[in-house]
Amino acid sequence: MSVKKLSKESLLNWVDEIISTKKKVYGVQKHKDKTDRFEFAPLDSTADLRLDYDVTVLPPKKYFQPPTETLVAFDLKGGYKAACDTEKFIVIGIHPYDMIAINQMDELFQKDNYDSHYMTRRNNATIIACDVATASKDIFASSMKTATVKKGYDILLTDIGNGYVAEAATKKGQLLLDKAKTEKASDADIKARQAVWENNEKNLNKHPLNCQPSEVSELLEKAYNHPVWEEKAKTCFSCGSCNQVCPTCYCFNVHDDMNWDLKSGDRKRTWDGCLLDGFTKVAPDHEFRAKKSDRFRHRLYRKGKYVPSKIGGQIACVGCGRCIGACLPDIANPVKVYNRLLEDTSAVKK
Amino acid sequence: MNKPRVAVFDFACCEGCQLQIVNLEEQILDLIGAVNVVEWREAMSEQSHEYDIAIIEGSITRPEDEEKLWLIRSRAKILIALGACATLGGINKLKNNFDLNDVKKCVYGKDASKPHLYTELTKAVDEVVEVDYKIHGCPIEAKEFISIIRSLLIGKKPEIPEYPVCVECKAKGNPCLWEYGQLCLGPIIRAGCNARCPSAGHRCYGCRGYINKPNVEAAKDVIEKYGLSVEDLKSKMVLFGSRQDNTL
Ligand code: SF4
Ligand code: SF4
Ligand code: SF4
Ligand code: SF4
Ligand code: SF4
Repeated sequence: MSVKKLSKESLLNWVDEIISTKKKVYGVQKHKDKTDRFEFAPLDSTADLRLDYDVTVLPPKKYFQPPTETLVAFDLKGGYKAACDTEKFIVIGIHPYDMIAINQMDELFQKDNYDSHYMTRRNNATIIACDVATASKDIFASSMKTATVKKGYDILLTDIGNGYVAEAATKKGQLLLDKAKTEKASDADIKARQAVWENNEKNLNKHPLNCQPSEVSELLEKAYNHPVWEEKAKTCFSCGSCNQVCPTCYCFNVHDDMNWDLKSGDRKRTWDGCLLDGFTKVAPDHEFRAKKSDRFRHRLYRKGKYVPSKIGGQIACVGCGRCIGACLPDIANPVKVYNRLLEDTSAVKK
Repeated sequence: MNKPRVAVFDFACCEGCQLQIVNLEEQILDLIGAVNVVEWREAMSEQSHEYDIAIIEGSITRPEDEEKLWLIRSRAKILIALGACATLGGINKLKNNFDLNDVKKCVYGKDASKPHLYTELTKAVDEVVEVDYKIHGCPIEAKEFISIIRSLLIGKKPEIPEYPVCVECKAKGNPCLWEYGQLCLGPIIRAGCNARCPSAGHRCYGCRGYINKPNVEAAKDVIEKYGLSVEDLKSKMVLFGSRQDNTL
């Protein structure tokens, strides 16, 4: 599919048209309460769209796996009915690292058990991704090789200063992009985009990882009993903030909400987190990861070893840096732990 | 199934938690349809001595209240503490941080020694009798109240969050108030209020009580990192944190 160029003005006109013709459009904008931060929210006006944002408080996963959702409505007298949103929607402004997280979720939610709630939303989505124009304070996407992205989106936008380079990757994307006033991207435009990519692949790196992401799994192999888990977890609140803000955390808890007739109700799922006390509690009140340090370790093993073994070695940390900012005692930074393990070869024992 | 007989009692409190129940609007009819309310001073005049579920609002501050509570306990199959006054001792417990005589003089002036104004140290309900379930909050969350009652009606153990307020706060997409200079107690306070205060821009001051294993050491670290002092933390905790034990 062809690569196009949009002037800044024609991008705005195009978004105007999208907002006025499509029912559900979400876009990156200033956070409604704290205007120095950004969030994905319903986009009511083109003027609110901020493609120059650094990072959003929550990743876009909330549109694919909402914090709470009804799975089925049940009635003890007569069966159950699956509940699921079926509305199509558009998300504008997803950064490459978040897109890669979604690509990983796509694999995971189709693997062993096909998750129809996730996949229905995913198939209803049209994603307009955009390359990073402003590095956030904790990003380390360059280290994780997630600073640029090659698939998953329908359209990718890159700000090259005098306009945007736009590339549609799907038929859906092409149809949408056809509505914009575009010209063919020149060789110079394509070069400028290449320069943005090369810059991001090098410089979105506030916390450089001292090895290749593909080596993390092996590193962890030898670090199960390393003292770092205890040390870090000493000041862990078990607050789960590092899980909640992470684009690759997808654990959920299922519970039933009864109605007043005490016969019918809704079965719902809500976000859960492996750092929370009680996450591994099973009947009758047995908890198999009751220790904070075990839970702390589990999160990093999950990102660096367990999930990669399911999705062809891709590490399930995309370097967005959100957990770093969200962790009050400042212990959640995955790079600090991995680098510490790298340095500490002497203490590394099986 | 016979409808369980429910009685509601209030001790030292503002009755704000009962008000949350009265304010259930159309759902109050569902509630009254599902249970048999046999005593509830705020809503009806009858009294009864036979009930399956006793709901206790308020903290315990006088010897005669303790006796009344023992009696209620002996009659009830299930006893529920309703609201922060009952689950923690609530705001009323602030007085336990001072000399009792000073407190009495401050509140009642020259009447302080009159016998009908006699009070002792404030106790949460579970400091006097065994409590089966606690419905947290100042005031309680009506939605949580409903779901706990429904659980009991179908004989299921109610799900009361073990995780802290931060979980609900983060799920709502709020930036953390610590970044904006507020000493928020969210990381050590039990969730269930849907992060009511931080979502409105105010720090959590702890009305639902501590989680089971609050990491107070971490709190000290964080306070240092944000350039505050442990005294700052103590002053924030005292409103609901006066001499508090496990709250579940
Ligand atoms: S672990 Fe942290 S940096 Fe990595 S993807 Fe999750 S939130 Fe982002
Ligand atoms: S690592 Fe940090 S953010 Fe994660 S649960 Fe512990 S204190 Fe909370
Ligand atoms: S917990 Fe709060 S609202 Fe409820 S009775 Fe006590 S003071 Fe009033
Ligand atoms: S504002 Fe309070 S409740 Fe919200 S995340 Fe921060 S500490 Fe937790
Ligand atoms: S945020 Fe804290 S103080 Fe506010 S209602 Fe919830 S537990 Fe109570």
